[in-house]
Amino acid sequence: MSDKPLLPEPERSETCALSRRDFLKLSAATGGAAALLGSLPAFDQLLAAQRQALSGNSPLSAPERQIYTVCLQCNTGCGIKVKIWEGIASKIEGNPYSPWTLHPHLPYSTPVAEAGSIEGGLCPKGQAGLQTAYDPYRIVSVLKRRPGTKRGEGQWVTISFEQALDEIINGGDLFGEGPVEGLKDVYALRDAKVAKAMSDFVKRIVDEKDAEKKRALVEEFKATFAADLDKLIDPDHPDLGPKNNQFAFIWGRLKNGRGDLVRRFVLSGLGSINANGHTTVCQGSLYFAGKALSEQWDGSKFTGGQKFYWQADLKNSRFVIFIGANMFEANYGPPLRVTPITEGAVDRGLRYVVVDPRFSKVASKAWKWIPIKPGEDSALGLGMMRWMFENDRINKRFLSAANKAAANAIGEASWTDAVWLVHIKNGKPDKLVRALELGLVTRQTEQDKDGKEVTVYVTEDGVKFKFDPFVALVDGKPTPVDPNSTELPVYGDLFVDTTLQNAKGETITVKSGLQIIRESAFEKTIEEYAAIADIQPSDIIELAREFTSYGTQAVIDIHRGASQHTNGFYTSFIFFTLNALIGNFDHKGGLSKPTTYDRLGSRAKGPFDLAKMNNGANVPFGLDILRTTISYEKSTIFNGYPAKRPWFPLATDVYQEDLPSIGDAYPYPVKIAMFYMSAINYALPAGHTTIEVLADPKKLPLIIASDIFVGETSMYADYIFPDLSYLERWEFHGTHPSVTYKVENVRNPAISLPGWPMVKVYGQEIPLSFEALVLGIAERLNLPGFGPNGLGEGVPFIYPEDYYLRMVANLAFGEKEDGSNSVPEADDREVEIFLKARAHLPKQVFDPVRWKAILGNDEKLWRQTIYVLNRGGRWQDEGKDYKGDLLSNAYAKQINLYQEKTAKTINSMTGEPFAGYPRYYPPHLSSTGKPIEDGDEYAFTLITYKEITMTKARTISNYWLLAVMPENTLLMNVADAQRLGLRNGDLVRISSASNPRGVWDLRNGSEVPMVGRLKVVQGIRPGVVAFGLGWGHWASGARDIVIDGQTVKGDVRRLAGFHANAAMRTDPVLQDVTLTDIAGGSAVFYSTKVKVEKA
Amino acid sequence: MAEQEKLTPHSTASGAVSRRNFLGALAAAGAVAAFEQLAANPQAVLAAYEEQIVQGTLGQGRSSADLKALDVLERMRLELLRALQKPASERRWVMVIDLRKCIGCHACTIGCVAENKLPPGVVYRPVIEEEFGTYPNVARRFIPRPCMQCENPPCVPVCPVNATYTNAEGIVEMDYERCIGCRYCLTACPYSARVSDFGFTYTEELPVIQGLLGTATADDYERAPNFEYGKQYARQGRASPVGNARKCHFCQHRILEGVLPACVTTCIGRATFFGDANDPESLVAELIARPNVLRLREELGTEPRVYYLK
Repeated sequence: MSDKPLLPEPERSETCALSRRDFLKLSAATGGAAALLGSLPAFDQLLAAQRQALSGNSPLSAPERQIYTVCLQCNTGCGIKVKIWEGIASKIEGNPYSPWTLHPHLPYSTPVAEAGSIEGGLCPKGQAGLQTAYDPYRIVSVLKRRPGTKRGEGQWVTISFEQALDEIINGGDLFGEGPVEGLKDVYALRDAKVAKAMSDFVKRIVDEKDAEKKRALVEEFKATFAADLDKLIDPDHPDLGPKNNQFAFIWGRLKNGRGDLVRRFVLSGLGSINANGHTTVCQGSLYFAGKALSEQWDGSKFTGGQKFYWQADLKNSRFVIFIGANMFEANYGPPLRVTPITEGAVDRGLRYVVVDPRFSKVASKAWKWIPIKPGEDSALGLGMMRWMFENDRINKRFLSAANKAAANAIGEASWTDAVWLVHIKNGKPDKLVRALELGLVTRQTEQDKDGKEVTVYVTEDGVKFKFDPFVALVDGKPTPVDPNSTELPVYGDLFVDTTLQNAKGETITVKSGLQIIRESAFEKTIEEYAAIADIQPSDIIELAREFTSYGTQAVIDIHRGASQHTNGFYTSFIFFTLNALIGNFDHKGGLSKPTTYDRLGSRAKGPFDLAKMNNGANVPFGLDILRTTISYEKSTIFNGYPAKRPWFPLATDVYQEDLPSIGDAYPYPVKIAMFYMSAINYALPAGHTTIEVLADPKKLPLIIASDIFVGETSMYADYIFPDLSYLERWEFHGTHPSVTYKVENVRNPAISLPGWPMVKVYGQEIPLSFEALVLGIAERLNLPGFGPNGLGEGVPFIYPEDYYLRMVANLAFGEKEDGSNSVPEADDREVEIFLKARAHLPKQVFDPVRWKAILGNDEKLWRQTIYVLNRGGRWQDEGKDYKGDLLSNAYAKQINLYQEKTAKTINSMTGEPFAGYPRYYPPHLSSTGKPIEDGDEYAFTLITYKEITMTKARTISNYWLLAVMPENTLLMNVADAQRLGLRNGDLVRISSASNPRGVWDLRNGSEVPMVGRLKVVQGIRPGVVAFGLGWGHWASGARDIVIDGQTVKGDVRRLAGFHANAAMRTDPVLQDVTLTDIAGGSAVFYSTKVKVEKA
Repeated sequence: MAEQEKLTPHSTASGAVSRRNFLGALAAAGAVAAFEQLAANPQAVLAAYEEQIVQGTLGQGRSSADLKALDVLERMRLELLRALQKPASERRWVMVIDLRKCIGCHACTIGCVAENKLPPGVVYRPVIEEEFGTYPNVARRFIPRPCMQCENPPCVPVCPVNATYTNAEGIVEMDYERCIGCRYCLTACPYSARVSDFGFTYTEELPVIQGLLGTATADDYERAPNFEYGKQYARQGRASPVGNARKCHFCQHRILEGVLPACVTTCIGRATFFGDANDPESLVAELIARPNVLRLREELGTEPRVYYLK
């Protein structure tokens, strides 16, 4: 068979590799000395020897040529190892220590010397990340809009970092268009004491309900702070806050570490309240439904709801329904979640359903595909719910537990308020019933242990509560409930619909939360729900039956498809309620929540308690431009319903509202906006409307962008500061709900590009980067929290590592004050690997002497920190994530199935309260809740999805990916195409009622038509068309720009495909923004009606 | 010559352990009684080491582990190490692709491109996508297509200069130095698994301008050497492999290092399996005995070493 020997073998003897025989000889020769295996584990040593014997063929397997860090090609944040050849990132693999890429991941204690040849799985984007770092279009100088040219015209001049900082700070006539205010002008209120006093006073103003008294308080405020009124946006409306708020920081993809830096810079540094994220363009309503579900009773109010959600613990699920979750192509995310699905389905008997109008790749492997009508997922959910109630297929045991004590006694970690009683007023669910009003308790005063007078609520039997407790019926008897009690379990009656006598002898109507939910589900028949969703009633029944046939190992996992609709909050609410009805929260194979190690050192109060390490902090206050921090009714600019623009008391980070609000100067004008890793106009539905504001210096006088190239949004900036790519920088990527382990993923520099510019801040050289921009501004404005005493007296914050390395040390130290939760110390071999792997990095990026000094030259902590960096993070070991049938990292709190807080919140556009329970709302409503009719001309519903090769705005530079899929297409069902006489490959134009010409108007006479190639398939619901996001760029190297008079030619590969977000429906009331879920904040991606015609 | 002198394994540039360093490390390390007996008897050491491999506990920090509890990547890696204990001629590398687990993500395609520094137009492992059926009864199938490493490779006899041959382990190799780029082999392959390298790069003709990174730096990763056939081929000018026929080689350079082929490790669906079919305990031996196994174009008698599970 062979006419030539295996290639490497003859070369081995010359290259000092060892054959097995050599190895035996070697071992024999070392003989007695073999004893010398020493403190290294014998087999590890031998494995290293074995590898040695084989090596030479693939030198990148040497641990010294690898750095473990974290991907950012999408937001999944897979652990990666970057293989480095002579300083160049040569290849990227999955990090086997990370539970994202190996299932199960390597034990954390595996010596890093051994892991060189172990690789986890990684998606194509992750591997193509080299091309994000080595992108010829990356900027390496600060670019300034050429004076005399318009924003977005693509004319740039390079200027020095120092000059750029000088200009953005001091302002002046920067573009020949008249004076522009700089950061120094907006940074008006600098005295933290005054800010604190004002902030406290503003709280009194907004909390005052009487209009007369409110006005009086404003006058009093003006008198009190007469000397500082010039620092306010509007002294007549102090609740708008200081002028500092006229600096808005707007981010796209921001992860912790840098996120902490941003908060330090914007909030406690510049004293602006406007540090605004992008949540609502992702899955806002899912997050904020999670927040409402997780609000906890603190004794006086529901508070502390986490902006988060739950996902399936897929590795142990037996039945899963994915709703609008594109598991194989996007979501969070392929390496993390694909493996348990493919292996589960083939080897483990996992049965799963995909609910999606498009026949996605995950649908192609599913037990059942439900091509539902877009936006009508809640009809499916409520239909299932109805069937479950009708057929008594609910987890009564779980639902009856009314508090923590009850849950714990039956082996549950979490509990719901399903059995708590709710007032019914005028037929509508209202407040929760309290024990005092029913006379179940009396209010008494007593002295606490410090001798302070406190109010207590005492039952006839002498049981004391610190607050007026809630009520459930127990065998028909009203019983007080303390949700957080660990001693007084209450198991309530599930379905209550009755009247009670209150203490005043009045008759009140009450229902249990579960009864309200049941009635909500019974509003329509299963047939009616099926008709709404345009699916078969048998589908609803089959799903409900299966869902209730696997105990707590069944789960519904929802994502953007469910949440990015005007009804997204309630759709999410419905599906989490379904999960609660089977009681799968915190169960193996059920719902899991995200859990991370504490990078800030708060839990262990050290070694670096970073939140407290500050040399004085500003006190931001007032209303944010997205109107999420103060409720409309309480503000001094309340002016009846509908409000000028919606307010979002249940959400934050309402990305689509940033620029329209700035354009409307509502609630106040913004003078300076800084965009970080944001392609806001590209990413948003109807994002074209934002360009009007971006392009107009009168509406937004100064735009600063931090970007790695001239992107879709940064092309409208006045200044672009070059940033480092994810392979060159620090971040703490965090986790996702589906990860059952406690984790933190540490992104740390793997490479530094040859010749990358270094700049001076606080007298020291650091790479030109986002950190340099922040530190440079901080230095010039003398912001608190930065500089030689930025982290406290004598503790400097002048290098990025001053901050980030301490976070790594905190992770290494763990969360116990005595250090008993710390990681092992790196041994000498690990230290050697750490140093050699980073030998190619310049001193400004990696300086072990400086780094060790940051950790106080604490040898132990230094070695522990190296241990974490050598692995690229910290992860709990496999097996530690379960305690019996429950998750170790359990949510273990209350789940609000009836939400009093939500029910008491007013919709600013209608003046009506939100519903506090899961209920049906149709999709595609205006901001005032009206249906939108665009006529038969717009016959198709447009939806989007992601191909696995693209991540919205930032992967178009990845030529390997473009080689696999050069352009996107518009998917259309065969039947529709035939009807319209369209053929596969035809170029088609997409237009809508709010963009009838089907174009992106980029201003300056430039337009991009929404014309793309048609792909005719069977795998999409008729009447729906879909396109993959990520193509159709008009910047990011796609089109020519001019720098210092030289034309930079665009690359046609980056111009490929189309982007149809501009077709998405604008709100008919507001007109300048996408449709929005007023409750959960989501921007709407999946309900626009469009016309598709041959181009 | 594109082929540069092969570096000393784990060479000094990265400071990895050379043989001498390794001996030094052995000598320098302190003694631990528990290991003395083992260490004094190298045969016993190796036997124990192999035992660890067989048990799947090698380097896992596990006291006892069921192979099946490991990620299949780990199981296959340990089996690979076991196979490498044998003479090359006793190993029979095969690949198994479970189409039920392939999700069409192209991670293998890109992983291969990245591993072998493949230029535009050169792909060793495409994934073919197909849709069947009529709405709403639709199916999609994804078929990765590496080189089949045929036992009777039609590409080999047609080569006029003996630049392609089957090596001792059954991998059909290319000798870039001999190849004259005639493309007879491309035509002969019934699986279209061979491609020509026309010498392109992904970043050519892109701008070099003050203020931008520019191609000079941006093509670094493309110019860095690959390690095909245990050599180093940096992409420079018209030197090999430019102008040559190129093909999948099961990442032989990785295999010999105890690392699975790039398409295997990177597979996020865990659809691709690799190992020694001569090892009856191996995962691949188990898989190719399944009733749903098939090979592409069996009728040609090429006897592919790539199997599919349907």
